[in-house]
Amino acid sequence: MDAAFKLKTQNERAKVEDLFEFEGCKVGRGTYGSVYKAHRKEGNDNKDYALKQIEGTGLSMSVCREIALLRELKHPNVINLIRVFLSHTDRKVWLLFDYAEHDLWHIIKFHRAAKAAKKPVMVPKAMVKSLLYQILDGIHYLHTNWVLHRDLKPANILVMGEGNERGRVKIADMGFARLFNAPLKPLADLDPVVVTFWYRAPELLLGARHYTKAIDIWAIGCIFAELLTSEPIFHCRQEDIKTSNPYHHDQLDRIFNVMGFPQDKDWEDIRKMPEHNTLLKDFKRSNYANCSLVKYMERHKIKPDCKAFHLLQKLLLMDPNKRITSEASMQDPYFSEDPLPTQDVFAGFQIPYPKREFLTDDEEDKNDSKRQGQPQQSQNQQQQSQNQQGNNGNNDHSNSKRPRLSGTNQQQQQQQEYHQSQQQMMFNQSHQQRY
Amino acid sequence: MAGNFWKSSHYQQWIVDKQDLVRERQEDLKYLTEEEYTKVQIFFANFIQVLGEQHKLRQQVIATATVYFKRFYARNSLKSIDPFLLAPTCIFLASKVEEFGVISANRLAGSCTNVIKNKFGYAYSQDYPYHSKHILECEFYLLENLDCCLIVYQPYRPLLLLIQDIGQEEQLQTLTWRIINDSLRTDVSLLYPPHQIAIGALQIACVILQKELKHWFAELNVDMEKIQEIARAIVNLFELWKGFDEKKEIAGLLDKIPKAKPNPPVTAR
Repeated sequence: MDAAFKLKTQNERAKVEDLFEFEGCKVGRGTYGSVYKAHRKEGNDNKDYALKQIEGTGLSMSVCREIALLRELKHPNVINLIRVFLSHTDRKVWLLFDYAEHDLWHIIKFHRAAKAAKKPVMVPKAMVKSLLYQILDGIHYLHTNWVLHRDLKPANILVMGEGNERGRVKIADMGFARLFNAPLKPLADLDPVVVTFWYRAPELLLGARHYTKAIDIWAIGCIFAELLTSEPIFHCRQEDIKTSNPYHHDQLDRIFNVMGFPQDKDWEDIRKMPEHNTLLKDFKRSNYANCSLVKYMERHKIKPDCKAFHLLQKLLLMDPNKRITSEASMQDPYFSEDPLPTQDVFAGFQIPYPKREFLTDDEEDKNDSKRQGQPQQSQNQQQQSQNQQGNNGNNDHSNSKRPRLSGTNQQQQQQQEYHQSQQQMMFNQSHQQRY
Repeated sequence: MAGNFWKSSHYQQWIVDKQDLVRERQEDLKYLTEEEYTKVQIFFANFIQVLGEQHKLRQQVIATATVYFKRFYARNSLKSIDPFLLAPTCIFLASKVEEFGVISANRLAGSCTNVIKNKFGYAYSQDYPYHSKHILECEFYLLENLDCCLIVYQPYRPLLLLIQDIGQEEQLQTLTWRIINDSLRTDVSLLYPPHQIAIGALQIACVILQKELKHWFAELNVDMEKIQEIARAIVNLFELWKGFDEKKEIAGLLDKIPKAKPNPPVTAR
C-alpha cells in the first residue's frame, strides 16, 4: 500500500471521537456491541445521535451485511444509517444513527409495571394501531426490497422521542437481515438459531430450512398481541439456550396452549416439516382441546368480534402459506376504523415513558445478572440491558402538543431529503462528486 | 438487496461518464497506453476469477469482487494499492456481503501464494508478499473508497428474465452468461446499468449463434444506442484479447505500472 495514498486518506478520514461527544453516555449493550447517546461537538446541531460501537474488531459478516443493506434502504420506518466510522488504529467499527428515545420493550415493560400497580398509563386511543401500522409499513418496504428482518421483537422496534420525527416507529437491528431472493446458501446453515424463541414462527420451530416473509409476519403478530395485552403471548421459560437444534418442545407447547393444536386442514404442509415426526411423538392433540386464540385474548379482555382481533388472527395463522402479507394487512379494516392511525404514535400527547438512562460499567454487570423475564436467546443477546427504568421521575418531557397529522407530510419530505444528502457522505465529502 | 436499482447507490453513485473515467486514469496512463491498461485489467479480472474458483465462490460473488476492484481503480491510481493485494481483499469483502460466508484472510493469502506459483508464475516471479494482516488493513481502505456501497447489481438476473421472455433458449442463455462474465474485463460495469449490459451481451450472443431476434429487440423499451456502445466495448475486448499473449506480455506490463511506495516519503529535517 502506498504511503502517500495512506496519508491522503488518513487526512480525509474523520475520527468519531473528534466529531462526537459520547463519553459516559452508554445506553445499550449486547452481543452486537455498545450503543452511546451522542451529540456533535461543533456546530449548532444539538440533535441526539446513536453511536453503535460494533463488538470485536474488523468487519464481521453481520456488520458487512448491516452496512451494505442500510446503505441502500431508505424508509421513514426503517432506521437510517447516517455514517460509518472506521478506526484504523484499534480496528473498531462505529455506526452513526438517528437517536430513538424509546422502544417497544421499554414501552411494554412500562405498561406492565403500571398494570401491576393498578395505575393505568394514559396513551392515545390509537397508539397500538399506529405502532402496528408503521411496523407493517416498514416491513412491507423491506419485503418489497427482498430483505428479511428475521429478528423482529419489541426491543428492535424503536420509537422516536421529541423532535421532528416525534412518535415515529423505526425498525432496527438489521444486522442479521439478509436477502432471500435466491440465497446463495440455505439460510438456516449460516446461523442456526436467530429469532428469539418467543417471536419465532411455528414452522421455524419445526425445522423449516428457509426464512420467509411469513416468519417476520408471525413475529409482528406476536408483538401486536403483546401491545394489546402487555404480556408476551408465547412466553416460555428458556433454559436450554445453547441448542442449535431449531426444534423447541417447550416453545411449541406454549404456542399450542394459546392457539390450540393445528388441525390437518388448517396446515396441510405441516406433514412436510423436518421435525413433524418429533412433533407427533411428543405432542397429543387432546391436551390442547380447550385452547384457542379467542379464549386467550378474551382472558386478556380483547373481544373476538373486534377488528383488532380479526387482524391478529390473520397475522398469527399457523400455516405460513395462509398467513397474511404486510401489504394485505395494511389494507385491513382495522386501520380504516376510527380512531385512525397517526404518524406520531403519541398523537401529540405527552410521552409518558422515561428516557433512556446511561449505564455505568457497574450497572451493566448488575443488569447482566438481573436480567429476568427477558428473551434469553441462543446467542444470549442482551439488547435490552437497561432494566432499571420505568419507576422513577426522570420524565423530562416537553409538553409540546402537536397537531395530529398536519405538517407531518412536509416533515417527512424534509426527512427524506435529509436522508438523501446524508446518503452521499458515509465517510466524508471528499470522496464524493468527483465525477 | 434486490430492490429498486434506480434508487440504489450503484445507480446514483457508481454509474459514471466515460470521460470522467478516462480523466481519473490519467495518472496511470502516463505509464501505460489505454490498450495496456485494459490488458492489465483483463489480467486481474482473470486473477480474481481463478482465486474465486479456488474458494468455490459462485459467479455472482466473483462478479461483485471484480466490480469492487474496478470501482476502486476508477478513483485511484494502480499505484495507491498493489492490485495483487486489492484483488484478494475484494474477494474477502464480497464473500461476506454476498453471504457466502467468511473466508479466512489467512487462507486467502495462502491461496494467492499457490495460485501465483501454479498458474501465474509467468506474471509474478517473486513469492507472494502479503499476509492476512495486509488484507485486513486493505479491507478498511477498500470499504472507505467504495463509500460503503457494497450492493452491486449484476446482469445475471436481468438475463434470466430476458431469456424467460424469449422462451427457453438454453444455448443462448449459456453463451450470454459467458459473455457477461467476459464483460467484467471491460469498463461496462462502471458505465451502464446491468440490464443494459445483459441486453448488449445477448445481442452479441445472437450474432454468434445467428439467431434472428430483431423484432424482439425492437420491442424492448431501452436506449438502443447504449446497447450498441456496450456491444462494441465487448467486441473490442474480444479483439484485443485475441491478440493478447498474456504469458508473454503481462510481466512487462506489470513492470510498467506505477508501484506503491510502502515507506513514507522522507521529509527534510
